[in-house]
Amino acid sequence: MDDFHASQPIFVQIRQRLIEMILRQQVAEGEALPSVRQIAGDLSVNPLTVTRAFEALVDIGVVEKRRGLGMFVTSGARAQLLAHEREKFLKEDWPRIAAQIKALDLDLRDLIDTDTKREGQTK
Amino acid sequence: MSELSVSAEPIVSARGLTKSFGRKQILHGLDFDIPAGRIYGLVGHNGAGKTTTLNAMLGLTSYQGTIRVLGEDPFAHRAKLMENVAFISDVASLPRFLRVRELFALLTNIHPNFSQDKARQFLEGTDIRPEMKIRTLSKGMIAQLHLAVVMAIDAKLLVLDEPTLGLDITYRKRFYRRLLEDYMTEERTLIITTHQVDEIEFMLSDIMFIRDGEMILHMQMETVSEKFTQLVVDSAEAQAQARDHGPVYEETRFGQTVLIFDGVEREKLEPLGRISTPTISDLFVALMQRPTANPETAR
Repeated sequence: MDDFHASQPIFVQIRQRLIEMILRQQVAEGEALPSVRQIAGDLSVNPLTVTRAFEALVDIGVVEKRRGLGMFVTSGARAQLLAHEREKFLKEDWPRIAAQIKALDLDLRDLIDTDTKREGQTK
Repeated sequence: MSELSVSAEPIVSARGLTKSFGRKQILHGLDFDIPAGRIYGLVGHNGAGKTTTLNAMLGLTSYQGTIRVLGEDPFAHRAKLMENVAFISDVASLPRFLRVRELFALLTNIHPNFSQDKARQFLEGTDIRPEMKIRTLSKGMIAQLHLAVVMAIDAKLLVLDEPTLGLDITYRKRFYRRLLEDYMTEERTLIITTHQVDEIEFMLSDIMFIRDGEMILHMQMETVSEKFTQLVVDSAEAQAQARDHGPVYEETRFGQTVLIFDGVEREKLEPLGRISTPTISDLFVALMQRPTANPETAR
């Protein structure tokens, strides 16, 4: 989020951050997201860039604009985003990760075991 | 629709804008349009002609060629124009013998679009009190007062010439935050010059580079990131391959070579090293060294 020179455009990074806020339920369905002005001020980015990030979310129906009030998370947004993000992970991220696992000669089962063990330790 | 006609009309429009001081030509015929709702960054070395360009927009200097601000000739109709234009300049000063409250009263009398209530509101949360004399304020406080004054003017165009010069980083951040949170709207246009351009680069919608009185780049930021690519390579082999794509700039820093490309597809550069969008300051350095079309002015 703070590396705006990375290959991802800023509005994509802001959109992703908004999606995370909804997924992690930092902002619940029916509640208002931070305003364009606030985000622009917080991140020192152009308001049009922030608007573009919001518009992308309005287009897929997870955020709605209420005139004079701001941007709100629609009901059912989280389920929709989860489905969307899962699909994105399987389509875009997983093939790359899977290829890397293969290239490094790692066993998937071992990885899952270590992961559950580690989780068990922290809990 | 009225909204469309407003945004279609540029806020500032210049054609063949030329300025000479005696025999020395400072601006060599600039052509540009600045639409509404945008935040422009004007970048150039000292003496490149930035302030002269701004002064021409504000009606503070005569010029050859045409310039229209909100459809008016700024030099001929300065008083009228100032109802809709506000500016902060590093050389402009507030009357030091006045109290803050007296300054606001004065502005209420002379400026039709100045709101005293808004100005007071903007000062809440600062250490500035209405009874204080301007003379006793610190540099940072003066900047805050200046900002409160211009933000309380319902202007369509706000020109900021080195607005944060001499301020520490905390004040600078607060300054721009205020501007974005409480001032910027789709109907307003901002033009900013600053030497700390990296601090504001993501605020900008457009940039203009001026070199020796000529506009060498005028582009939307989005286009900048599509058009220009920075590549960092580690090996001599990758460097040689990268050179085949015709970089506009190349520099070796700390054993790594940084190259900047104009209009080369990222897919071609990606295998050679790490790619990113150059920062405005890196791009500025790169383009300032490019040979100019007008060798007379290049020194």
